[in-house]
Amino acid sequence: MADRRLHEFVRALRGAGVRVSPTEAEEAFRAAALIGYYPRDQFRETLALTLVKSQQERPDFDDCFESFFHFESAEDDDAEDDDAADQDAEGEPLSPQEGQGLSEQAAELVAQDAGQLEQTLARNAGEMDFTDMQVITQQGLYARRLLMNMGMGAVDDEILRLDASPRGGDQRRAGELREWRQQVRELAVRHVRRQFNLHGRAHGRALREETMRAAPFRDLREFKQVQTLVRCMARRLASLHQRRQKKAKRGTLDARRTLASSLRYNAVPVQLHWRQKRRLKSKVVVICDVSSSVRDAARFLLQFLYAMTDVLPRVRSFAFAARFDEVTDDFDRYSPDVAVGRILDRVSGSGTDYGTMFEEFVALCGSEIDRHTTVIILGDARNNDLPAGEQHLAEVSRRAKQVFWLNPEPPSRWNSGDAIMARYQPYCRAARRCASLNDLSRFTDYLLKSV
Amino acid sequence: MKTRIDSLDDVIASFAGQGYICDQRTALAVYLAAQLHKPVLVEGPPGVGKTELAKAASAFLEAPLIRLQCYEGLDESRALYEWKYGKQLLYTQLLRDKLSGMLADTDSLEHSMQRLGDLGDAFYSETFLEPRPLLRALRADEPVVLLIDEIDKADQEFEAFLLELLSDFQISIPEMGTVKARHQPLVFLTSNDQRELSDALKRRCLHLYIPYPDAALERRILAERVPELGDQLRDQLVAFIQHLREQDMKKLPAISETLDWARALVLLHADTLEPELVEQTLALVLKNEQDVALARDLLPHWFRKPRSA
Repeated sequence: MADRRLHEFVRALRGAGVRVSPTEAEEAFRAAALIGYYPRDQFRETLALTLVKSQQERPDFDDCFESFFHFESAEDDDAEDDDAADQDAEGEPLSPQEGQGLSEQAAELVAQDAGQLEQTLARNAGEMDFTDMQVITQQGLYARRLLMNMGMGAVDDEILRLDASPRGGDQRRAGELREWRQQVRELAVRHVRRQFNLHGRAHGRALREETMRAAPFRDLREFKQVQTLVRCMARRLASLHQRRQKKAKRGTLDARRTLASSLRYNAVPVQLHWRQKRRLKSKVVVICDVSSSVRDAARFLLQFLYAMTDVLPRVRSFAFAARFDEVTDDFDRYSPDVAVGRILDRVSGSGTDYGTMFEEFVALCGSEIDRHTTVIILGDARNNDLPAGEQHLAEVSRRAKQVFWLNPEPPSRWNSGDAIMARYQPYCRAARRCASLNDLSRFTDYLLKSV
Repeated sequence: MKTRIDSLDDVIASFAGQGYICDQRTALAVYLAAQLHKPVLVEGPPGVGKTELAKAASAFLEAPLIRLQCYEGLDESRALYEWKYGKQLLYTQLLRDKLSGMLADTDSLEHSMQRLGDLGDAFYSETFLEPRPLLRALRADEPVVLLIDEIDKADQEFEAFLLELLSDFQISIPEMGTVKARHQPLVFLTSNDQRELSDALKRRCLHLYIPYPDAALERRILAERVPELGDQLRDQLVAFIQHLREQDMKKLPAISETLDWARALVLLHADTLEPELVEQTLALVLKNEQDVALARDLLPHWFRKPRSA
């Protein structure tokens, strides 16, 4: 019994997004058996020690623990109340006289006391597969199926038959049966809802993640979990590339050093030395347009790049709208939300001027751009009909290793209205659309391969 | 090693006896680790006593502590074992005559090879093996506590290499085969979260996160470790440190800094926390120039507040 509850809890945890392997679950059962279920705090910590493997997952675990074990006790209480109600409703009128009126199957079901009824429900539910439930509206369907499996169909028939009967006693009885049926149905619905919370949530989460990844940046604010998702995506990317960098480090035999060290051992090459590839000292410079149309994209791009500090240690960032300023410190020091607010205070205004921005950029840190530098520009290239100043971008492109341009708008609109992508594009190694987290993650992957 | 741990309270009492004050969760982790034979991965900000925990556990279990400090580039030859190349060479040099004498009556190359083969693994035997911490822990005559410190500083390859040790308490050495632990060691791994550890490693361990202590726990730790400190000063000091931790600082003061500061204040014969005194000794608590400046700005405000209250 206890084990089954723990199993259900582990499943609920998985639904809440905590990864738990079968071995870990088994470990948790052993630990719980050792420590016991009481006091509750101790029990919770025991499960946390064995099941939660990072501090980020801890809040999810706590939520899940609270709702799962709270839900259990609340449900038990409710069920008892209901059972009492059931007995009030069915016990007195149904038991003495049921033999004559009801068909055999219906009589069997109706005659069950609360405990037996619950067992019947649990047994039938156990034979059904609830794991396919994906959306909340399926609950009614599943509850109905569960009731049918329990043999409620016979009771339905009985009610219809009694309704049609002219005798007053039968009419009254039909009413009682109906009420009883309603109570059993509530039990079934509650059971199904719990199953949905266990299984449906995981599906729902996957679906939501899918939507968030593809949604345009502007709409992302409506999602609560977007920060978690961004962090998660960034971390996965970073660890992938970390491994790649390490692999690239292994080199060929360094004959000179090997020979030199072999002298110690009578010219026997005891210690082999390997030529190590020199670590890439790549620098990344980001220039973000933070005017209202592009602001959301800029925020996520910067957040992504700063989550990569393991693999991209040197990122300098600049923001511009009406003015142009370096914002590296803001992102180093504050959380993305705060940082964006601060930056907007400093540089916001109307009328982006790419030409002047590039000129200022070259003047400010043109000398620092070398062949290890990757420059990323994020903007819609809407220049308000001002001079394009592409010669400055050409200068940047000449000095830098590569220049990427990210545009939140679809390519068909890159040159419509006051947008002048065509003037800048020749100086970029690649220009890509970047309108959703998926685009962003693909670009970052590409960037990490090429720096 | 103690073979039986009676109860959780046993752990807490022993830790308290050694002056290692911890919350229940930490004691629970040690208890479970010893009972389930699982390694513990201890995470938390620097200076909250992760390494101390392993030492306290070693004292509690009456088992020797073997420590492996991780760093970037740490490899098997430093962590597990190494052949004593110098000694091997020296021996072959010294034994050269003996060897040629032994091979003198062989007539063919195959014969000589066979003769050499009969010698067995003379040059790859225990005599020439230099055991490093991990191998020492596996081959110890009594159970030990093995501390793998700052695993996040080691490379990812090393982490993968540890997996066999952590799940089965055995390690494969090409020349010697698989070495199984004579007695299962109690393993602690610590990490400062410099980089994300792999899921495979985390799966094999119990996970314990030690946060900065809350005010009550910190007072208890101070009372235990620096008993000379007056009650009033202790309360003030803890309140001040807790206040500092709420600030947005580069490096928050940990419990080790609190202890240093408390000892310094005892040496200076301080009775209460005065602004000048704090300003002079702030460098003991904060290790970053910007943080010190920030704390200095906070000082006047903080000293006004308690008096008005």
